[in-house]
Amino acid sequence: MKKFLLICLNVFLYAGVVPLVEPNQAPSKGGLISPELIEAIPHWHKYGELFLYLQTHWVKLIFLIVLIAVPSVFLIHYLIIGPKIFSHKGRNFLIFPSWQRIIHWIAAAGWILLVPTGFIVIYGAFFGGGPFVRFARYLHVIGAVLFAIVVLPMTIMWLKDMLPRLWDIKWMMILGGYLVKRKQEIPAHKFNAGQKMWYWFAMFGGIIMIITGVMMYFQNFDLSKWHLGLFQIDLLRLAVIIHLTLALILVALFFTHLYMSLFAIKGSLDSMISGCKSEEELKYLHSIFYKEIIKKGEDKELSEKCPPLKED
Amino acid sequence: MYEYARMKFYCDEDRCIDCHGCEVACSDANELPVGIHRRKVITLNEGIEGKEFSVSIACMHCTDAPCFQVCPVECFYIREDGIVLHDKDKCIGCGYCLYACPFGAPQFPRDGAFGIRGVMDKCTMCAGGPAPTFSIKERELYGQNRIAEGKVPMCAAICSTNALIVGDAAHVAAIKRARDAAKGKGAMTPYGWDQAYK
Repeated sequence: MKKFLLICLNVFLYAGVVPLVEPNQAPSKGGLISPELIEAIPHWHKYGELFLYLQTHWVKLIFLIVLIAVPSVFLIHYLIIGPKIFSHKGRNFLIFPSWQRIIHWIAAAGWILLVPTGFIVIYGAFFGGGPFVRFARYLHVIGAVLFAIVVLPMTIMWLKDMLPRLWDIKWMMILGGYLVKRKQEIPAHKFNAGQKMWYWFAMFGGIIMIITGVMMYFQNFDLSKWHLGLFQIDLLRLAVIIHLTLALILVALFFTHLYMSLFAIKGSLDSMISGCKSEEELKYLHSIFYKEIIKKGEDKELSEKCPPLKED
Repeated sequence: MYEYARMKFYCDEDRCIDCHGCEVACSDANELPVGIHRRKVITLNEGIEGKEFSVSIACMHCTDAPCFQVCPVECFYIREDGIVLHDKDKCIGCGYCLYACPFGAPQFPRDGAFGIRGVMDKCTMCAGGPAPTFSIKERELYGQNRIAEGKVPMCAAICSTNALIVGDAAHVAAIKRARDAAKGKGAMTPYGWDQAYK
C-alpha cells in the first residue's frame, strides 16, 4: 500500500513538470528572440524569405522542367520536321577566322563545364553530396574563369554583326524556317535573329552571371554604404536569385544552341571547326550575307581560304 | 501532448552586458579557426537612449530551420530535441544556408587551395555532430559534445549575468516570464522560436 501511494505521488509530482503547451508547437507570436531585436534589424526578411520560398518550391522543379522539356521539344522537331541537309560540295567560304574560333571554343569549354556542374549542385542531394558535388562546385568556378577570360573579346568581336536589323523581324515571323521541311531563302546576314538572341543573352546575361557568381564566391561585397537599403546579406540573396533566374534562360538557350549546331543543320558544326561554310548553306540560311559577298565580289577571296571538299 | 524537450537559446536583453564572454568561450572551447565566430554579441540601437541593448546571437535552432529547407545536398538534420546540426562530410560549401538564415549563423572558413570556401560551420549547441560521439573526428569537425556529457553549452555556462539561457523552450520561457514578473513588467507572451520567417 505504501509503495502504491509512493508511485501515485511520483505520478503527480512528474505530472506537474509536463508542460501544458506542447513545446514543439509553441505559439509563434513573440518568439524566443524578442520582437525588438527583429525590428532593430532593418529589412531583415527582404530577400531571405523570397530565396527560401523559391528554393523550397520552384528551383528544383523548374530546372527539371527545362532539363526535360527543351530536349523533348527538339526531339519532336527532329522526328517530325527533321534536320536541314545542305550540300557541302562545291565552294566553301571562310566565315570564322581562326582567332574567332579559338575564342568561341574557350567559351564553349567553359560552358560545357558550367552547365552540367550547375545542375549537379542544384540536384546535389540526388548525387549524395560530399566530395563529388564539392568537386562539381570547384569545376563550376573553373568553367566560369574560362568563360570570363573570353567574354569581353567575344562580345566585341561579334558586336557589329549582332546588332538587330530590320530583317530579323521577318526571321522571327517565320521562325527561321525551322517549322517547314522545304528549303527557302531565310532573311539573315552573317547571324540570324536566333543567333543574335543567343548572343545578347549569353554575353550580357553571362556577364551578369559572372558578377553575381563572383559575389557568391567571395561573399564580401558590401553596398550598404551606398544607402541603397541593400545590406551585405541581402546583396548575396539578390545575387543568388538573379543567378538562378538567368541560369534558367541561359540553360534553355544553350540547349537550343547545341541542338541547332549538332543536329538541326547537318554539318553546321564544321563551320566552327574549319571556319568554312558551304555555298548552299549560306545561300539559303544567310541569304542577305550571301548576296552581299557576291555583290561586293568578296566571294572569291573568301572561298580561296577554304579548300573545297573532295567530291565523292 | 508530447514530453519532448525543444532545446532553445534565449538571450535576455535586459541582462546582457556586452562582455563578449560567450563569444570567447565558444571559440576557445570548440577550437574554432581564426575568423569563425559561432556566437556573436551585437549591440542594437546604439546611442539611442532607452532603446540600446545588446544580445548574443548564434544559430537559433529554428523549428522550421530555413537552412535545413534550402540545402541542395540535404546535409542538415534536426535532432529529436530540436538541435539543428549538419554533416560536414556531405556539405559542399555552396552558401545557400547562409542566404536563407535570418541570423547569419552559417559561416565559411577559407581553408582550401586558392582560398576556396570550405564547408559550412555553425553553432552546434555544443552537441557535436553526426560523427561518433566523443570521437576525435567529431571533436575536430564540430567541437565539443557537452550535451552528451550532460553539460550546458559553453556560452551559457560561462555567462556571468545569466543573460544567455539554454534548455527546453518551455522552461526557458518560464524563467524569462518569472524574471519579467519580478521586474513588474507584466504578463509576457509565451516564448518559443517556432518559425524563422513570419
